[in-house]
Amino acid sequence: MRKILLGTTAAVGAALLAPMAAEAQEAPTVRVGGYFRAYYGYTQQNATSPTNVTMNQNPGDNGAVSSTGNIPGSARLGHGDFSTDAEVHVFVNGKTANGLTYGAVIEIEFDSSEGTVRSDARRAFSKKTGANIDEMYAFIASPTLGQIRFGDEDGPFGGLMNVGWVSNFGTGGAYGDFESFIVRPNRTGTTPGSVGDNTKIIYLSPQFFGLDFGFSYAANEAEGEDTGCLNSYASLNCDRAYAVTNIQSNGRSHDQPGRYNELQWAVRWRGSVAGVGLAVGANGMFSQVVRDISPSGDIRRNLRNPEVYQVGAQATYMGFTVGGGYMWGNTSFYYIPSVRGDKRMSMFFGGASYNAGPLTIGANFYSGQYAGTDAWNTSNYNADGTRAPDTVNSPRGQRRWAYSVGATYRLAPGLDLIAEYIRQEMKEPSANATPRAFSAAAPGVDRVKASVFLTGVRLAF
Amino acid sequence: MKPFLLAACAALPLLAACGENTRGVQNDEYGDWRGSAPRQRSGGQTAGLVIFGVDKEREAREAAAAGGASGLAVNAYLWRATLDTLSFMPLASADPFGGTIITDWYAPPGAQNERFRAQAYVMGRQLRSDGIRVQVFRQVNDRGQWIDSPVSQATNSEFEDKVLARARELRSQSAQR
Repeated sequence: MRKILLGTTAAVGAALLAPMAAEAQEAPTVRVGGYFRAYYGYTQQNATSPTNVTMNQNPGDNGAVSSTGNIPGSARLGHGDFSTDAEVHVFVNGKTANGLTYGAVIEIEFDSSEGTVRSDARRAFSKKTGANIDEMYAFIASPTLGQIRFGDEDGPFGGLMNVGWVSNFGTGGAYGDFESFIVRPNRTGTTPGSVGDNTKIIYLSPQFFGLDFGFSYAANEAEGEDTGCLNSYASLNCDRAYAVTNIQSNGRSHDQPGRYNELQWAVRWRGSVAGVGLAVGANGMFSQVVRDISPSGDIRRNLRNPEVYQVGAQATYMGFTVGGGYMWGNTSFYYIPSVRGDKRMSMFFGGASYNAGPLTIGANFYSGQYAGTDAWNTSNYNADGTRAPDTVNSPRGQRRWAYSVGATYRLAPGLDLIAEYIRQEMKEPSANATPRAFSAAAPGVDRVKASVFLTGVRLAF
Repeated sequence: MKPFLLAACAALPLLAACGENTRGVQNDEYGDWRGSAPRQRSGGQTAGLVIFGVDKEREAREAAAAGGASGLAVNAYLWRATLDTLSFMPLASADPFGGTIITDWYAPPGAQNERFRAQAYVMGRQLRSDGIRVQVFRQVNDRGQWIDSPVSQATNSEFEDKVLARARELRSQSAQR
């Protein structure tokens, strides 16, 4: 497979670099853009008020956790909060004498840490606003042969070419920024881009007869430079890890090595029929998964090789946009690899919006079934990695859904006023009489719910 | 599976390269994290401020706004501003493609023994302060004979400033529409 991909990349590269009609060369330009947003959010959420459970204690003035360590305690959260975020994007664009365009994109984000300690004096702790690189890649493109991107970037399946996700209102509704206000686990949706910006080579075709396609290859799930290893030897976090002890007990997730030899593909058609703008698309992802290795060195695969597909369609007419689709595969929510025998992912999504001048209103939803936290519950697996019968309070899989209504008013080019309401729920019904507990904060609660009303301003520049 | 992938990988780029119905897909036709590009990068690939290099898109935009559509080869604001500024003199020739405006001799009513002529060059499509050059010629009547007489450089600059001020005025008027 690697040989094929390398060969294909070389062939496409050679074709791109072949001499073409002479065009005016353009010296590269460097642009700085980005966005800033500030919201007020009113949040209602259950199962987040622990009473007399073991929890981390406040660090002392020297930044260290107090000597008493983790002791029983309680905490309560209010409803109102502000949330700010920004990104700065740097774009480099140039054009060669033979008509090829080239450039690079570097996006800097400032939300690298979800948790925080507020005082600057406690230097051992990161602040929430730490800078971080979101995406960075270089591209070279020909109008007739397509484009190659190389770097940390979404793939054709994971964001670039998805169809049917209507998110052009508010902050994106059920796929939007409401997560900034919600405490885990009732937080993440399984949406394009959640697959991650792992370093990859992407080929994106030109459009012919309304059709274009793309595919990508990533060596593993890591991004950025360096090996990722936290030790001086191979371990869980290493980019190139393909076998790690007790792998089924780790929630394999975004930006951590879990997949390797990842392939993504996408095909979409865009055009108009009788004045109605239409788009249909299909895409998918396949990869190998990090395997389990025993302390004595025996390697076996107990997670499934992730395999996910998505189809979607979208129509636009007179300011109305309607779209939707279906996603299925063998991963859990957030594209986390699941264990053999686990429930497979099955998820619907859809939305509609209406745009009239500066005003856009819309609504969207998703509803899915996933393996849930099953994926890293080690208590119910046989020695060979297959599922044992449900004898403990093992969940039967997870249901997760969200819906949203919202509006955007464009006050000036790039300057939007936003209001939005989102409701998200998830549940993991137990296989026996003992209710599944999502967290220590709420024993016996197998259904978590959150509602967020948010309003604010966003400036894209 | 492998032969199929191999065939597909080899054939699709070649297929894409032929045919009249092929066009390059622009960078802002691709989505990103949860389709956030339309919200967070509403200017598309020309968003942001150019901090290095020449902003071709902006130049093209301004040239189109300033007269690309009207068939002028030079900046329309500067062209009209020059015509306005020199309108008190009789026009000898005006070439909108070359960007030259040449007036005929003009004797001010209060000083009939001297006369002026002006040549203006509008340079390029951009509305820039160095996009206009004005050269004023002066002759004085010495016993029935018109004799060339020097004009101070400040006169030329003053004309250029008047043209630029008028161009700015025209541009702000059209921007308000």
